Amino acid sequence: MSWSRVSALVGKELADLRGRPGLLFPALFTGAIATFMPVFVAVLVPAFSGERLADSSDFQIALELYRQQPWARALEPEAAIQAALFQQFLVLLVLSPVAAAMSIAASSVVGEKQARTLEPLLATPLTTFELLIAKILGAFLPALALSFACFSVYLAAAALLAQPGVARALFTARPIGVLFLMGPMASLTALTLAVCVSSRVNDARSAQQLAVLVVLPITGLLVAQIAVGFVVTMPIILLITGGLAAINAGLIRLGVSLFDRETILTRWK
Amino acid sequence: MLVAESLTKTFGPRVAVERVSFDVRAGEIFALVGPNGAGKTTTLRMLAGLIAPSSGAVRYGGQGIGFLTEAPGLWDRLTVRQNLNVYARLHGLPQPARAVDAAMDLFGITERAGELTAVLSKGLRQRVALARALLHDPKAVLLDEPTSGLDPESARDVRELIVRLRHERRAVLISTHNLDEVDRLADRVALLNTRLVALDTPQSLRARAFAARVRIRFAGPAEAHAGTLRAVGVDDMQLDGDTVSLAPAGGLRTPDLIRTLVDAGADIEAVEPEEPSLEQVYLRLLNGPPEVNGPPEGGPHVRQGGGS
Repeated sequence: MSWSRVSALVGKELADLRGRPGLLFPALFTGAIATFMPVFVAVLVPAFSGERLADSSDFQIALELYRQQPWARALEPEAAIQAALFQQFLVLLVLSPVAAAMSIAASSVVGEKQARTLEPLLATPLTTFELLIAKILGAFLPALALSFACFSVYLAAAALLAQPGVARALFTARPIGVLFLMGPMASLTALTLAVCVSSRVNDARSAQQLAVLVVLPITGLLVAQIAVGFVVTMPIILLITGGLAAINAGLIRLGVSLFDRETILTRWK
Repeated sequence: MLVAESLTKTFGPRVAVERVSFDVRAGEIFALVGPNGAGKTTTLRMLAGLIAPSSGAVRYGGQGIGFLTEAPGLWDRLTVRQNLNVYARLHGLPQPARAVDAAMDLFGITERAGELTAVLSKGLRQRVALARALLHDPKAVLLDEPTSGLDPESARDVRELIVRLRHERRAVLISTHNLDEVDRLADRVALLNTRLVALDTPQSLRARAFAARVRIRFAGPAEAHAGTLRAVGVDDMQLDGDTVSLAPAGGLRTPDLIRTLVDAGADIEAVEPEEPSLEQVYLRLLNGPPEVNGPPEGGPHVRQGGGS
């Protein structure tokens, strides 16, 4: 594999993205929602209702669960619950790079075909593997940047609006694991799936509809955390990340074998 | 330089190209003509290595083939320079920026380097696409419909660029429907209709498809001399006012024919060889029915003139 060719095409993808920033709107919207949700639940609702979270029986389970965590022991009950909520909703933040990756990757191969730019591209020494890797990275890098930008806002919101110590609680192993391991790997899975599907369908919408399925397990994780008090611990994060990495490797191999140049060139219209 | 050896391509039960063989030599412009669906683009794609032949082989004595696809295929949201730079890097050129500058200079697009390709005219887009196809200095260039959709001035510019490729001793293969262009540019023509129907120089194809004809203009009605012509064995003639178009037959030479007419009292104002257009040749070879008078000499003819 030639990294020079991959980086040339990734550079093209990034330059192309600058020309259509609208592709990032779904991710910005998801990121904004993910940032606003914990602020709303943990800060605004108690402030406007005049009822502290620590006084509510609804959050006692969360308080008990998080009191067992070393980072939460030093916190006031109200801050511990807020920290717990900010950590729980962090999973939602993982969805924003996924959303960004999806909208970019879904139009990657099929977009080239529709713009009639794929044929000259395939006439170069670029291999199918390099093409798919470049397409994946071209979507992944902006998604990652966006996710870190959203996390910065998330941190700032926690530092400015929540109880003291809540923002620091987001720098513990678990949130970092969610954001830097599980999140990127989930978005990689989403966009690898989207790129693979994009090379098999005739329009970007079909690719997006199929690739969006990867959102379901992440959403399930979020629901499980909130509904049944399931805590995503570091071993679980590592397990999920490892699983996703294995799935990604398989997907890329599958994508290369499914990428049929002849069909793409001769039958797509 | 570039050789197609019995190339066959099938898509399921459909045969797109069947046992097509030819060679394109250095410094030659070789035209591939044929109706829609004749397999021209499929042949080009096989030559460019984009799709594999079902049987047969492509032999190429150079490194990298330049391929101008039917659509320019430029990234609209990138500038001219960015478009070319990506391809220079994809081809692994040691100094991509320098190669891009040289290509832009060669194709007269340096002044537009910073413009998005979306805003360029069709002619300029085609120039950029040609520059892209030649960035890696290929010795063989495949051009699929290089002047399709261009205005006459842009088409002329592109034709000049193609001629320049011949002067640079590149092997140039163009696929086109524009027979006038083929007539102006091509050293040899291959007529493709799934199979190779004919392959030769334009002049030889004319000679193969049509008997040599002569047009004679008289001072008076041509009808007055029809009897004289029939008397010397000319049966294939077409009278039109003061002009007759005829095919001298039975070894009759044109000077002898003119002498006979003059001796018979004809006032002749002009004599000129009548050359069928390449379009007439194309239609004759492809479909059989004559477009101009005169019987075809034999059926479809394939001749591989020499070899590389």
